[in-house]
Amino acid sequence: MKNTFTQSMAWLHTWGGLIFGWLLFAIFVTGTLAVFDKELNHWMQPEIPASEVSQADAARRAISYLQTHEAQAGNWGVSLPTERSPGLRVSTAERRHGGGVQLDPHSGEAIEVRDSVGGNFFFRFHFTLDLPRNWGIFVVGALALVMLAALVTGIVIHKKIFKEFFTFRPNKGQRSWLDLHNASAVLLLPFHLMITYTGLVIFMLIYIPAGVDALFAGDSRAYFQAQGNARMEQPRGLAKQPGELVDVVPLLAQAEAALGPIAGFNIRNPNTAGARIEIRPVLGNRIALSKGQAMVFDGVSGQLLSDVTEWRAAPLTQRVMVGLHFAQFGGYPMRWLYFVCGVVSCVMIASGLVLFCVKRGRKYATASADASARRWYRLTEVCNIGFVAGLLLACVGLLWASRLLPAELAQREAWEVRAFFGVWLLALLHAGVRPARRAWVEQLGLTALLCIGLGLFGGLSDGLRQGVVACALVLGVLLGVLAWRVQQAVPAPLKGRAARSVEAGA
Amino acid sequence: MNKAPAWLQILSRSGAALLGGYALTYAASACLARLLPLAPADAVIVATLPAFIFYTAAILWAFASRDALRAWALLAVAAPLALIGFWPQALEWLA
Amino acid sequence: MLLAGGVLFAYAGMLGLCQGLERHYKHVWNRACPPSWRRVLRGAGWLALALSLLLCAQAWGWAMGPVAWFGVMSLAGLVLVLLLPYWPKVAVGLVLMLPAWGLLQVFA
Repeated sequence: MKNTFTQSMAWLHTWGGLIFGWLLFAIFVTGTLAVFDKELNHWMQPEIPASEVSQADAARRAISYLQTHEAQAGNWGVSLPTERSPGLRVSTAERRHGGGVQLDPHSGEAIEVRDSVGGNFFFRFHFTLDLPRNWGIFVVGALALVMLAALVTGIVIHKKIFKEFFTFRPNKGQRSWLDLHNASAVLLLPFHLMITYTGLVIFMLIYIPAGVDALFAGDSRAYFQAQGNARMEQPRGLAKQPGELVDVVPLLAQAEAALGPIAGFNIRNPNTAGARIEIRPVLGNRIALSKGQAMVFDGVSGQLLSDVTEWRAAPLTQRVMVGLHFAQFGGYPMRWLYFVCGVVSCVMIASGLVLFCVKRGRKYATASADASARRWYRLTEVCNIGFVAGLLLACVGLLWASRLLPAELAQREAWEVRAFFGVWLLALLHAGVRPARRAWVEQLGLTALLCIGLGLFGGLSDGLRQGVVACALVLGVLLGVLAWRVQQAVPAPLKGRAARSVEAGA
Repeated sequence: MNKAPAWLQILSRSGAALLGGYALTYAASACLARLLPLAPADAVIVATLPAFIFYTAAILWAFASRDALRAWALLAVAAPLALIGFWPQALEWLA
Repeated sequence: MLLAGGVLFAYAGMLGLCQGLERHYKHVWNRACPPSWRRVLRGAGWLALALSLLLCAQAWGWAMGPVAWFGVMSLAGLVLVLLLPYWPKVAVGLVLMLPAWGLLQVFA
């Protein structure tokens, strides 16, 4: 939009970064929180006991529960206790997320667990912004593309990228904000580029179906079949004859030897001659995302019907890229690496947003600026506070709501989501009526207190929950320090022409 | 186009980036998928993986081009690529 | 343990590259840096980064290792950059954790 290439790229980076940065910050924050989605699930449902029960025992108890209560169902689903998810869950639904009954892994009896959106809310919000799934995927995809453009334009305009690689000069106002923005961006550039691009690759065929349109006349089913993903034929006839279920435990052992740790299994047409047992691995035994993979056994004879095949190079490449984004591999050390990198990426976006206002604050905040520019500046300021501090407040607010809302409340999950958006809206309104600096301090301070106070809810019986509270404590302290520093900071004195015109007007 | 008001120029460039960029990306993926000497299922994946590099480049072009009208040159580049990608369908339509 | 080594080598590597730049050397030691010494520092820095990759690959395998390595390098660099303006001597001193780790590996 300006004369030289660098100038137009700077314009694009600034305005694209500002307008889309507010939602991108939300995407990055919820994505970072989603790294620990299962741990947050566990914390938000304190009724689930921490257990040391083996998967074999848990599987047997789950099946005996299903035999007692759902012997006629067409499909049994069992989610076994895993390292990140110690609960035992059974269901008869086709999809694993809705419904189902939580069992005590020790006794095999059903336990009452409060409904909660869990950490899964952050995961879903991250790729849909809580919009209807297909719309949300497109909106987030467009935002991710803008993020990619922002990263590339940022590299292009940062002329001293190598000279200033290690430069950070604090306590110098605008210069410091730029240094922080540059440091958090450049030092983690491999992460930022990787996470943004791989995020787009996940749904790439939804965004750009050109290949399927050109080579398969738009027929996605034909495309999936060509990938070798044809669904196994269901044994309709056999499913009408009764049969005895084979013991699942040796099959679990066989699957674990081939696939690594197991997450759960499905039994289709149980107690019939056409029973099929599908055993699926925990995601993350390798980088490539193994979603949808399962070993299928005959439910009566225990014979292996369908093994997992190694992917060809092209689908493997896509799955590795998707896996790099999903970050399920590498155990807890890798998970923490992703989490900290995610936090830094949020700092990058937030510092960019703040830098925009800091840079223009002197020009547009004073009485000498023209009224419409002042209004736009004020709007930007309010959005910064509401979409940065306000979003953080909403996230911790969701955790508090999930513990404060009564456990028997009808539609509890909907109320939790309402609490999230309600807090966010209130934060935006608060930012609208309070002076900017105070709004920052108050919202960051409250967020800090709520994070630190998470431990007050107790229920810290196992490592996962302790980890959630400990991490929240550290983040709370950091936010508290930030709030304190914002309060202490003295606004930069007016310089030059702006100062003279203010004096003239006084 | 440079005499047009700023907001119109921005709108034009943004449109070129979004729509022209999509057209270019879509056409480039189709063209690659058609030309790559791979099994069709693999070609689809390999052709679509670099799509976002094209799209990002298109966005940068839309805002770096000398004027807001030239930003739409992306469509001109997209057309022949789409023709290569969809030539069987194009032949059928012509017949 | 391997992980700790990977992190410490990454930090040492970043420190070497950082101190190999004129402005940062001057900031810490308050004197100019002879160009030959700068080259040594930068060379040592790259070597340390390579060793960090080796240790990450030992800890995670050669598929996941490089992924972890990028993350570890980036975060080590960020820690260095944040420490340097406030406590420059501490930022440099932290690298002594590396020989300490080395001794632990040999004797424990």
